[in-house]
Order: sequence, then C-alpha cells, then structure tokens
Amino acid sequence: MRVRSKWKLVRILFTTVWLYGGWLLYTGSFETVSLCLGALASLLVATATYNLFIAEHEAARKGLLVRIHYGILYLLYLLAQMYLSSFAVLINILRGNINPRVVHFRTRLHSDLARVLLATSITLTPGTIALELQEDHLIVHWLDAKTRHSKYAGILIKGKMETLLSRVLL
Amino acid sequence: MTTTLAFDTIGYLFIASSVVALYRVLWGPTVPDRLLGLNVASAQILAILVLYAAKEKLHVYLDVALVYDIFGFVGILALTKFLEKRQRRGGSV
Amino acid sequence: MIEGIVYLFLLLAAIFNLMGLVGILLFPDPYTRLQASSTCSTTAVISVFIAVMLEAGFSAITGKVLVITLFFFISSPVGAHIIARYAWNMGIVPWRKLRKSSLEDLPHD
Repeated sequence: MRVRSKWKLVRILFTTVWLYGGWLLYTGSFETVSLCLGALASLLVATATYNLFIAEHEAARKGLLVRIHYGILYLLYLLAQMYLSSFAVLINILRGNINPRVVHFRTRLHSDLARVLLATSITLTPGTIALELQEDHLIVHWLDAKTRHSKYAGILIKGKMETLLSRVLL
Repeated sequence: MTTTLAFDTIGYLFIASSVVALYRVLWGPTVPDRLLGLNVASAQILAILVLYAAKEKLHVYLDVALVYDIFGFVGILALTKFLEKRQRRGGSV
Repeated sequence: MIEGIVYLFLLLAAIFNLMGLVGILLFPDPYTRLQASSTCSTTAVISVFIAVMLEAGFSAITGKVLVITLFFFISSPVGAHIIARYAWNMGIVPWRKLRKSSLEDLPHD
C-alpha cells in the first residue's frame, strides 16, 4: 500500500513538472501571477490525468528517465535524416520512377514507448510508412524498395535509429 | 528586418497549394485519399497562421495555431475511428 | 547572415511544398500519395517554422513556435500512420510496378 501511494505521488509530480515546463515555454513571461497560475493549473491537470501519462504497471518506470543529451542528439539526427529523405523522395517524384513494396521485419526494442517512437521515426524518414505495429513486428510500406529480404530491409530502413533509441531510453 | 515580402510570398503560395490539396478531398477515389487531402490542407493552414503571426507580431495567432494543430490531429483520429466502426458493422464505405 | 539563412529555409519550404503537391496529384495509389505528403509537405512546414524562429530571435514568439514545432513533429507522422493503417486494414492493395524490374534477381527469402 505504501509503495503504491508513493509511486502515485511520483507520477503526479512528474506529470506536473512536464506540464509546467510546457507552460513556461509557451507563455514566455516570468511575472509572479503567471508563474503561480501555471503551477496551480498544471497541478490540477496532473491530478486529473496522471493515469493517462504514466501507466501504473512496473514497465512504465523505465519510460520516466530519459538521457537528455542523447535525446537532443536523436532529434538533430532525425531532422537531418528528414531533409535527406525529402530530397530522395523529391528526386523520385521528378523522375517518376517508383518501385513500392511492402516489407516485414522485427525490432529488438523492448518498451512500448521506444517502439512507438521507432514507428514514428520510420514514418518521418526515408520514403517509408509504418502500416502496422504488433508486439515487435513491423509492417512497412517502402517507396523505392531495394531488397525483399526482411533482415536486410530492416537494417536498411532502421539504420542507426534503433541503436540511438536504445541509448535514449534507459 | 526586411523579410516581410518573403513571408507574404510564401503565405500566398501556401494558400494556393492548400486550395490545390482540396482537389484530393473532393475527387479522391478512395476514403484514405480524402483524409490525406484534409491532413495536408490543415498542415499548410497551420504554416499560414504561424507566418502571419510572425509578420504582424501578433501572439494571439500562435495560440490559435496550437489549438488548430491539436484539433486537426484529433479530427483525423476521430474520423478514422468512426469509419472503422461503421465498416465493421457491415456498412458500405 | 541570419537573413540569408531565413531566405534559404523559405526557398526550401517553397520547393518542397510544390514537389509534395506534384506527388500528391500524380502518384498512383493512396500509400504512395501518403509518402509524398508525409515527407515533402511536413518538411516544408517545418522549414517555415525554423525560418520564423530564426527571424524572431530570442523572444516570446520563438518559445511558442518551438512548442508548436515539437507538437507538429509528433502529430504529423502519427496522423500519416493512422491514415496508412486505416487504408491497410480496409484492404486496399498497394500499387506495384508491372514491368519486370531488376528486383527479381536480388536474393530473397
């Protein structure tokens, strides 16, 4: 019972901190009224919605801690990849030469958050869209397919993103 | 700075392209085509809002832009949920 | 200097936007159109956001646009994924090139 209520308190506090960070970034003013109002509002919203942000079971504890510097590195890497892949798609559109295929492969990431992030990154980068994500099995639509072998396709599509993601989340 | 003219030009370009994207909403052969057209048009209107706010230095338009983004996302989600449920009940698409 | 970078990003936004529209109008099936919209149009919109942030410098506008950019970074690919998943579950068959391509001699399982 005591562990459970402590865990509940931690969850509420964590949600409050995230919401307050969003408030500070969005309002951009450091007046006393604004600061107090923001703290009150984020505490209220956190007590109402902490259960949606962080699930109660044990595995959610891993999702709490994020290595910030690797996170920023990952965002920059994703941005660069996005521009490169957009140029690739642009060339495909101009040449009118596309060769779409559907490929299947597996991922070795464990937590739900990491898998969802991987699917989102795949949708954002090199001409690929994640169609379905079940457990560790991904179905991906590939605009300019180079191979049909599922293992090589996985290596080509995921690239460095999987190893970087496994470093971002503890 | 003197980037007002460039912001204006890009804004008009985005307005024109969001009108072109509505072609897919009106004449898309399948349902996902129509949803896709809506998604693209909403993203471009978001960009127009941010450009106008930066040009006129009006903060109100940025609040509108954030809420518009959230509602566009939730709208797509609700539409697909609704269509899936209707399809599972055996209705025509 | 900064003005030049702003102009560069606005130019990139214009190019990607036009090419994304061409892709959306010309590609043969919903999946490929979704590819064009989810890469090119998203890149165009994010280029506009970066240009606005650079132009505004360190001010309140930058913070707000940063929040909008982060949210758009999540919401755009997830929206594309939702539409693609709906099309996949609806049973739309992906378009394939009919001509025998060089893929046939590549090894496959």
